[in-house]
Amino acid sequence: MPNFQPYLQSPLVNFNLPAETVPADSSQQVRANELPLLGYIAIRGELADAAIAAAVSSVTGASVPAAGQFSTGDAGVLVWVSPDELLLVTRRAELAQRLAAFEAAFAGLFAHAVDNSGGLTCLSLSGSEHVTVLRHMGVYDFESLAVGQAVSTVLGKAGGTVLRLEDDGVFLIIRRSFADYLWLLLRKVCTPYRFAVAKLAESGSHPLLRLLDKQHAAPARKAVTA
Amino acid sequence: MFQLHCPHCGATREEEEFSYAGEAYIARPANPEEASDAEWGDYLFMRKNTRGWFWEQWQHTAGCRKVFVVKRHTASYQIAGSWTLAEGKAHYLKESEA
Amino acid sequence: MSAYRVHRNSQRIDSQSPLKFTFDGKQMQGFAGDTLASALIANGVKLIGRSFKYGRPRGIIGHGSEEPNALIQLETGAYTVPDLKATQVELYHGLSATTTTGFPSLHFDLKGMAGTFARFMPPGFYYKTFMGPVKAAWPLYEKMIRMAAGYGRAPVEADPEYYDHLHHHVDVLVVGGGACGLWAATLAGRAGLKTLLVDEQNEAGGWMLSDASARIDGKPAMQWVNERLAELDSLGNVTVLRRTTAFALHEQNLVQALELCQDHLPIGSRNPGQPRQRLHKIRAHHVVLAAGAIERPLVYGNNDRPGVMTAAAGQTYLNRYGVAVGRNVLLMTHNDAAYDAARDLAEAGSRVTLIDTRLRGAADWRQQQAKQAGVELMLGYGIAQVHGKTAVSGAQLVQLDPFTNTVRGKGPRLSADSILSSGGLTSTVHLFCHNTGRPYWKEESLSFVVPDEGRQGISCAGAITGRWELSSALAQTHAATSAMLAGFGRSTHGDCPQGDEHEVAATRRLFRVPDGLAEGHGAKAFVDFQNDVSAADIHLAVRENYRSIEHVKRYTALGFGTDQGKLSNVNGFAIAAEALGKPISAVGTTTYRPAYTPVTFGALAGSHKADTFEPRRYTAMQASHLKRGALFETVGQWMRPWYFPQGKETMHQAVDRECLATRNSVGVMDASTLGKIDVKGPDAREFLNRIYSNAWSKLDPGKCRYGLMLDENGMVMDDGVTACIADDHFHMTTTTGGAARVLNWLERWHQTEWPELQVRFTSTTDHWSTTAVVGPKSRAVLQKLCSDIDLSAENFKFMDWREGTVAGVPAKVFRISFSGELAYEINVDACYGHYIWEQVMAAGDEFGITPYGTETMHVLRAEKGFIIVGQDTDGSMTPMDLAMGWAVGMKKPFSFLGKRSLSRSDTVRSDRKQLVGLYTEDPKVVLTEGAQILSTPDATPPAAMQGHVTSSYHSAFLGRSIAMAVLKGGSQRSGDTVYVWAQGKMHPAKVVSSVFVDQEGVRQHA
Repeated sequence: MPNFQPYLQSPLVNFNLPAETVPADSSQQVRANELPLLGYIAIRGELADAAIAAAVSSVTGASVPAAGQFSTGDAGVLVWVSPDELLLVTRRAELAQRLAAFEAAFAGLFAHAVDNSGGLTCLSLSGSEHVTVLRHMGVYDFESLAVGQAVSTVLGKAGGTVLRLEDDGVFLIIRRSFADYLWLLLRKVCTPYRFAVAKLAESGSHPLLRLLDKQHAAPARKAVTA
Repeated sequence: MFQLHCPHCGATREEEEFSYAGEAYIARPANPEEASDAEWGDYLFMRKNTRGWFWEQWQHTAGCRKVFVVKRHTASYQIAGSWTLAEGKAHYLKESEA
Repeated sequence: MSAYRVHRNSQRIDSQSPLKFTFDGKQMQGFAGDTLASALIANGVKLIGRSFKYGRPRGIIGHGSEEPNALIQLETGAYTVPDLKATQVELYHGLSATTTTGFPSLHFDLKGMAGTFARFMPPGFYYKTFMGPVKAAWPLYEKMIRMAAGYGRAPVEADPEYYDHLHHHVDVLVVGGGACGLWAATLAGRAGLKTLLVDEQNEAGGWMLSDASARIDGKPAMQWVNERLAELDSLGNVTVLRRTTAFALHEQNLVQALELCQDHLPIGSRNPGQPRQRLHKIRAHHVVLAAGAIERPLVYGNNDRPGVMTAAAGQTYLNRYGVAVGRNVLLMTHNDAAYDAARDLAEAGSRVTLIDTRLRGAADWRQQQAKQAGVELMLGYGIAQVHGKTAVSGAQLVQLDPFTNTVRGKGPRLSADSILSSGGLTSTVHLFCHNTGRPYWKEESLSFVVPDEGRQGISCAGAITGRWELSSALAQTHAATSAMLAGFGRSTHGDCPQGDEHEVAATRRLFRVPDGLAEGHGAKAFVDFQNDVSAADIHLAVRENYRSIEHVKRYTALGFGTDQGKLSNVNGFAIAAEALGKPISAVGTTTYRPAYTPVTFGALAGSHKADTFEPRRYTAMQASHLKRGALFETVGQWMRPWYFPQGKETMHQAVDRECLATRNSVGVMDASTLGKIDVKGPDAREFLNRIYSNAWSKLDPGKCRYGLMLDENGMVMDDGVTACIADDHFHMTTTTGGAARVLNWLERWHQTEWPELQVRFTSTTDHWSTTAVVGPKSRAVLQKLCSDIDLSAENFKFMDWREGTVAGVPAKVFRISFSGELAYEINVDACYGHYIWEQVMAAGDEFGITPYGTETMHVLRAEKGFIIVGQDTDGSMTPMDLAMGWAVGMKKPFSFLGKRSLSRSDTVRSDRKQLVGLYTEDPKVVLTEGAQILSTPDATPPAAMQGHVTSSYHSAFLGRSIAMAVLKGGSQRSGDTVYVWAQGKMHPAKVVSSVFVDQEGVRQHA
């Protein structure tokens, strides 16, 4: 066998966002960028079941969030999806370890974890007009989305989950195959505003940004347009 | 376009997030093989098509993907409420008896 | 030139800012603050259009959205907009507009000259035409209609401007920025509610902009308006949108409003980075409708001559735009309010004769005011008919009976260059009625109005409730808004603003001014100007026995135009009521439907156009496909490679090459778009048994099975291969277009019928990238990439799957085939999708590996007779119809979905359409998909259809054409010759097995 050198590509690889990225500054009314190549695990199990909730907490270090909310723990961010589903956003490097931990913790329970890391990506959206931009894209009352809340709704003609971790901005979790469309739509509805693909803040103690895993980054590729 | 309350998300959302899922509480015959063609045809095709208050199913397709029931007035689009399938059934049966 | 500019202290134009514009190519000048209509009137333009049916000359009648005549074409080329009302177009420098009617030209109109169309187009024209000997008459009618039809011309170039949508969720939406709307918004804002106010005009104020004498709280009304605007501006919880028309109200207070963001700017000065127009979608807990009222004209002979207007228009052009509409003005009224217009015009220097249809006239104070201003009063008269053709020259008056609406005697003939009339106000009830609401007839207001108390979630404020006096309108607004605030648990901050109290004399109940002749015998008296509906036409409709007002409307086209009957409806209802001998309240109104005013397609589309019209879904291999020159086709929302032409290859050549390469060596296809659902739980197997027609009890881990999904009606709705991962765990695949539908299908059955089954479904469609390596050399390719899976034929059989690593990446490899060849599908985390594809291409290089798209996939599968759900099936095919009875487990204990239906009398008929293969007699003929099949070659229409072709291709491998078809009783007709009508010819074809290649299945088991 040859010496294979696998590389990962995020769903937005063809837009070559790293090449477009500029430092964030206050003149930008809307700032967006991708948090590429995170790990995503769908957790399936009746959340009202105390044993299942305990198993989830033991693996994630986070409490099970209430409906419409998310929580954070050592493993990452735990988003409420439905009464029997959570989405764990975690470090890609820790995927296998997390999946194994869930399998062990769920032994004997009607609950399981499903790797969905290839299927999702995350966008950061911030700036003074970021809520307006969401209001251009979707019917949900985004002005009412408070810190700590997560909503799965419709953006344009695609689905997406919007998380508010802080007042300054939100994170969007979107599907791989719709990422191209949503990015184009986002760029389009930002037409009236000063928009930038802005450098993400340093991870520090930020619960989502610190999940970014640099070593898997794809080699820079030329932008391709359909 | 109206708004619906999803009893699973505990939230009122715009209709775009939901898919209509037909008349509620149409029970599948327990023993299909024993149903006559007429009975089976009834189950398959006959719907109430009510003008007035109507029990219907909606699925929160852009949200939690759960199916729930809504009591909606098909002429005025007034909505009396929405319930989980199990909760709604009690109300539905009570009304059917009355 | 009869109209002229005057200076009014109240005017909203800036006479220091002249603007140049052209109208029908003629250079003209107006001022900042003008509408195109006010500028045209000031420039002496009277004739602005020709009427739809009769080609009668028409001029500007109104001053806003009610205008029926002044439909103009604005600008040219990509920026052109047809049929704008000149009364709503704000003037800007360099504006260019043209008239839209008149054939061959506005000033020489054939219809008008010859009067040809009048004879041909009575009310009910279309109905009568189609009921008559249509075939003979229609070409004649059509020719004439096309020649004369329409107003403006739709743009043919792409719209270069930007549009978007904005969603709002507010506590209170106030519709209308007149005095009442402003007060409602003020109270809501002071109460701390999130409030949005939308107003149609370029500046708020409503009628206060036209009524120079109005006062509120003892000061000029516009001063009060400006104080309110400043206050609203200072409140952080209130937003005011100008130039924004709420045009639709839907369920649960969803209001759509169109904001004209840049229409008022010269095209060269518009900011391309900002929307031209914005569609606001507003969800409001509570809506306050303060939409006001529109003055309607009286109906009288030749009331459509250019120079005839409403009194409100005359007053507005004077006070707001500084344009006196005539030097010699006749003003006919049946109410007091119109005296203000007469007074103001006289003050401005016009000679004004006020013809009051009432013998006693208005309240004394108004009569005194008018007389002092120099207005000549004629009490108890009406206008029988207007004189003049392309412009008003005067009018014939009649003396009216004071008690009944009949003529008592002759009146004088007066000369005039402008004739105004006021038939009272009509409340703008549209939005209240869009969502099943109905207005009621309020006799004392002579208008259909909405209830004072509104309805659940909607308050009504001001003139919309039929309150014409400012003082009472404000009082009602204050009360209604306070009640709304109480509903929010908020209190009212502020006292009710006081309008001046006036004594008002009773209005005369009059719609059609009598001319002493039977209806239809005098000069035409128009009700609906845009559709040329006269009072006589309504009487004719009633004589022809149309009783419902909805039918009268459709028969006469009353209220059909772009003005939606804002001037005409109430007059029309009243005249119909009289003809029917019923009270107006019993006749009622027609149904009000959105949109209140026209909305551009650009605004409706917003950002949902071009590349974001519909999501285009891509796989992880998109860049690879582009690099290799793929052309794409849309499958569902997915963009899939269609074929990969090399050099100057045609599609046919490319597909032949791709097919042969795959059958003879190895091809590769991106199968990532297949839907994938993770099915897991102790009852997963039982669930599959219920949801699929075939049996799943004995499928071991490591094995795959093809499954057919039926709906409860027994018809095939989806198919795909499902792999057993573990005893309680399955990896289901669906068709590309069916993924979301199938997931919802599973959820609905699980949640509604079998919640006791412990199983869960998780969509993993996007997680997995699937690279299908297909052909005799596929094993060799995979062997170069994969060391930890035993790929030997004995240990990795057809319909097995294995877990391992491919090119160093964890993978699930399925040995399944949609081509009949030895084939593997490599599934990896989609972030590795591009990498794996490229690795496969590199490893396959020595075998001439050939990427192929959906077209080759279709040919390969058709050669094997594999169906495509949705192409070879159409929701009426059972598994038996498809000769797939082998995929139905009739012995399964649970009655799976659709099973019972398979034994219904209709599904067991032997003459159902069944899937067959077809070989055309001429092997070169590729039948058209969808072509109809007949039993005999010489059938003449109407002939019984035997079926149709569902799939048809040229097979390079077989060197001939192949087709799949559904044919009545097809399963018993092998060897028969049928006849297919395609490409204008009858093609004989032989019924054969639909498996054209490798019937024994040797190749896929290799």
